[in-house]
Amino acid sequence: MPKENEKNKIDKRILKKSLYRDMFTLQWSWNYERMQALGFLWAILPVLQRIYKKGDKLKEAMKRHLHFYNTNPVMSPLILGASIALEEDKNGDASSSIKVGLMGPLAGIGDTLMAVLYRPIIAVIAASLAMGGSSLGPILIFLSGILWMGLKVPLFWLGYNKSTALIGDVIGDGIVKKATEIASIAGLIVIGGFIPSILSRVKTPLKFVKTVTIKGEAVEKAVELQGILDKLLPHLIPIAIVGLSYWLIKRKLSPVKILLVLLALSFITNILGIL
Amino acid sequence: MDGYGILIPIILGIWAYISIIAQLTGLWWAEALISGAITGLVVGDINLGLQIGATLTLMSLGMWTYGGATMPDFNTGSIIGTAIGALAGAQANSLEVGLAVAIPTSILMTQLDVLARASTTGFIHAADKHVENGNLKGVTKMHLLGQIPWGLSRGIPVFLAVWLGAAPVQKVIDWMPQWFMGGMSLAGKILPALGFALLLSQMDMKKYWPFLLIGYILFGYLNMPIMGIALAGIAIAIVYTNIKGGAANA
Repeated sequence: MPKENEKNKIDKRILKKSLYRDMFTLQWSWNYERMQALGFLWAILPVLQRIYKKGDKLKEAMKRHLHFYNTNPVMSPLILGASIALEEDKNGDASSSIKVGLMGPLAGIGDTLMAVLYRPIIAVIAASLAMGGSSLGPILIFLSGILWMGLKVPLFWLGYNKSTALIGDVIGDGIVKKATEIASIAGLIVIGGFIPSILSRVKTPLKFVKTVTIKGEAVEKAVELQGILDKLLPHLIPIAIVGLSYWLIKRKLSPVKILLVLLALSFITNILGIL
Repeated sequence: MDGYGILIPIILGIWAYISIIAQLTGLWWAEALISGAITGLVVGDINLGLQIGATLTLMSLGMWTYGGATMPDFNTGSIIGTAIGALAGAQANSLEVGLAVAIPTSILMTQLDVLARASTTGFIHAADKHVENGNLKGVTKMHLLGQIPWGLSRGIPVFLAVWLGAAPVQKVIDWMPQWFMGGMSLAGKILPALGFALLLSQMDMKKYWPFLLIGYILFGYLNMPIMGIALAGIAIAIVYTNIKGGAANA
């Protein structure tokens, strides 16, 4: 989209300054009242100064950008880019409303991808490496964090170049739905495999002694319960414990309370020698 | 048990400060496994840090600060638990002691998280005034200073607990009976179940439960390694959504 009013075109140096401010400090002043509002204002401030110079116009623009704002931090540069493009066109109202329009859906995409897909997959692989004594585990998470954060750069330029067209893409085209679906399906397959693998150390030591008659002689034979369970369904105990926790969540028990339930379960079954 | 000098508590306090600020920028570093490993490195027992960190990371799988919600702070718990566990290493089972310290610490830290999030409200009110007066430097200052309550709410408890923790924890260790150690050890193996259950509760299980079964079959019956399951999961998800999208357009 060619900009009609060339004198408002912001040079790249200022744009990058804005991006880096969002990238590194967006949530530093996060608070309950307006969440990331101040962080966003500080990020867009160099652009506002360039466009509105100083005085009342600048003051009005700053106030506009101090309204409530909160989204996924990695998605924020996308909104910042779009918002800057609109400020360049001196379309201040649109610049404010695009923030409100995009922050919710993008928070949904970003949080879902991170919490359901990216973090669990990497965290479980890293944790299994670490449990095996390998320092590669934490290094993997460390680097994955940098990679995730690096997404902020292309997202910023995408937002800046597409500006209002973004709204249609994000809200109209069902990207939110599709991204959530992919994350949910891949996440569930991964969790389905991870539950028995990570919890495979939870086993029962119980044995039954039963008397069998071999060649007319009574012989005592120990039968391990774990072996029977494994034939019934592999990893039955881990599945049962996850099932119990899931059921408690659905009964609206808080995670901390479930944690206490699982602790109690550990102590009791350990004392009784069941697990 | 001897405590640490002043240097190690300071280093760990600084890491606690840095890691939460990194997390605020969107950098995923306030993770129990990373902080456990760093603490282990600092106190000279990296394997302990890996074990405690991995357990806490798995427990917290389904926990994410959606829209700024508070969750147990397993990152801080991991630092303090690893440092104290390593102290106990000579005379008791360090993993069990570490977890016994880390878990309650993670839960108690939520109080300080709420305090940090509430106190930063003062900064945005001050920024409002600076905007009114056209004082841009003031606005900048208020934003950048906002990190201080966040960082200190982690840095100070870590510093104090690691510095002064040895004596009170010694008393606890002296008391710890065998059944407690055994229970704690089993808890370390069982607690990741919570993370998985929380993750599941955030998904549309009614619609997608068969995919959970596929993952279970891949591991339980086909013994596929974890990385293979992850790749299969991503491939199946994309194929499924594409076929569904294609059918809808046809």
